[in-house]
Amino acid sequence: MDEVTLYHWEPNANSGKPMLALMEKGVPFTSHYIDMLQFDQHKPEYLAINPQGTIPAMTHSADGQKRVLTESTAIMEYVNDRFAGPDLMPADAQDRWRVRWWMKFMDQWLGPSFSMIGWSVFVGPMVRQRDPAELDAAIERIPLPERRVAWRKAISGDFSAAEMAESRRRVSLGIARLEEELGKRPYVGSNQYTLADINIFNSTYSLPLSQPDLAGKDKTPNIMRWLKRVYTRDAVKKTWAMGKTDLANRYGLIMAEIEG
Amino acid sequence: MSAILYHGEPNGASLTVLAALAESGLAIECRHIDLLGGERHAIAGIADPVARDLGIEGEGPVLVAGGEAMTESVFLAQYFDEAAGGAGLQPADAHARWEMMMWCRQITERLSPAAALLGNMANAQEAIAAIPDDTFAALTASIVSDDLRERWQALHDGVIDAAQIADSEAKVAAAVDRCEKQLGDGREWLMGTFSIADLVTWSWLAGMQPLQPAAFADAPLTQAWIVRTGARPSVQAALARATVPDPLRAWAPGPEINRWG
Repeated sequence: MDEVTLYHWEPNANSGKPMLALMEKGVPFTSHYIDMLQFDQHKPEYLAINPQGTIPAMTHSADGQKRVLTESTAIMEYVNDRFAGPDLMPADAQDRWRVRWWMKFMDQWLGPSFSMIGWSVFVGPMVRQRDPAELDAAIERIPLPERRVAWRKAISGDFSAAEMAESRRRVSLGIARLEEELGKRPYVGSNQYTLADINIFNSTYSLPLSQPDLAGKDKTPNIMRWLKRVYTRDAVKKTWAMGKTDLANRYGLIMAEIEG
Repeated sequence: MSAILYHGEPNGASLTVLAALAESGLAIECRHIDLLGGERHAIAGIADPVARDLGIEGEGPVLVAGGEAMTESVFLAQYFDEAAGGAGLQPADAHARWEMMMWCRQITERLSPAAALLGNMANAQEAIAAIPDDTFAALTASIVSDDLRERWQALHDGVIDAAQIADSEAKVAAAVDRCEKQLGDGREWLMGTFSIADLVTWSWLAGMQPLQPAAFADAPLTQAWIVRTGARPSVQAALARATVPDPLRAWAPGPEINRWG
């Protein structure tokens, strides 16, 4: 009997990717909520699962073996390959290439810019109010040196004007390219709903609220049509119902904006 | 559908893709382009250039198929493997495939930018700095990606800081360590069976041996694997496409070093 456990934060960005992929495939899984803002991901219980201290992570027990999988996009590919259910990759080789290209574009070029902005306006201010000594101790527990640097920067709000400007440039360019892409075909990279849609949706679902100058009904009609198509999927609704923070409330606001 | 593979000298991303093409057995026309001459940014017949223009890999090869520019060496290798109906370059088991993709991502995110920086500094920086100003201005004006253009400019101006060099040297050493551990159980290939992981790792690491010999000194398994992989007919066929005596010294501006997260 297969047993799947997913360690995740909110249905958002990286954590949302395997949540949605599992939901779309209809794979039952045990949800283990990791509160990123409480640094749950650096606590010994979680480091025993994923010593890198990054979320999400998934364990899959089958045929007497228990495997730990990390890296959100790679987990999604595993989920799609390993389990029955609708195929979340297109059959055509060039479509498959395009799906992979868009996922890398998001994961390595555009996503880090969304993330930098998100951390500077959301994550940093949320955790900054805590006791500095407690925060210092929490940061010292982070296993990956680059993540330690990232958290320090976020907490101290230490992003340079040049870094933020570059992130804004990438977000603006990335949104424009996505708008073009969704003018060519109904979904990202192909004519069917795939891992690329899940990947990119998780970082763009709130654009009409978070980047109203760049995205919305008039500026990006193709993105808005696509968002609406994805929003109404059962798997998306079920996944969002698992949210525990104010992010969940935002989904409703965006839905109203899209349907209005 | 007719397709043309535009590639640089067989090293780095171009080497991975040329060798994968040879492994796949597909008959696709290959055309050499001068990467340092900016020819990648002037390929004719591209109706859909977004992947060329926003390629994360930098001056990697471009496959033009049906007017669409296709880039990123790992994904092109997967494309050849899948378009050939399965040429054995990807494990059949889902977990083994996850391991291969994780490995390839480590290599392309960490080793590739580091190797490209060190390789360019040692072998291409002088040539890029020597490009006359008006020629250089025309070349960089043809580059759509602002961040790729900045990497060309940094090499042209010789403004690479010492911390970046040190970080890149550490990343090359870390990649060798990873290989040595991976090969520690006596396996022949990085994933057990031969795969894209061998091609992509070899393509960025083989050229580092003469530049960073100390990193390889205590890595006999990796050294033997470099010899073994280099002897594969597909790698030999790729290397035979070189137009210079030592293609492993041929570099052009590569992927960017991770900026955040």
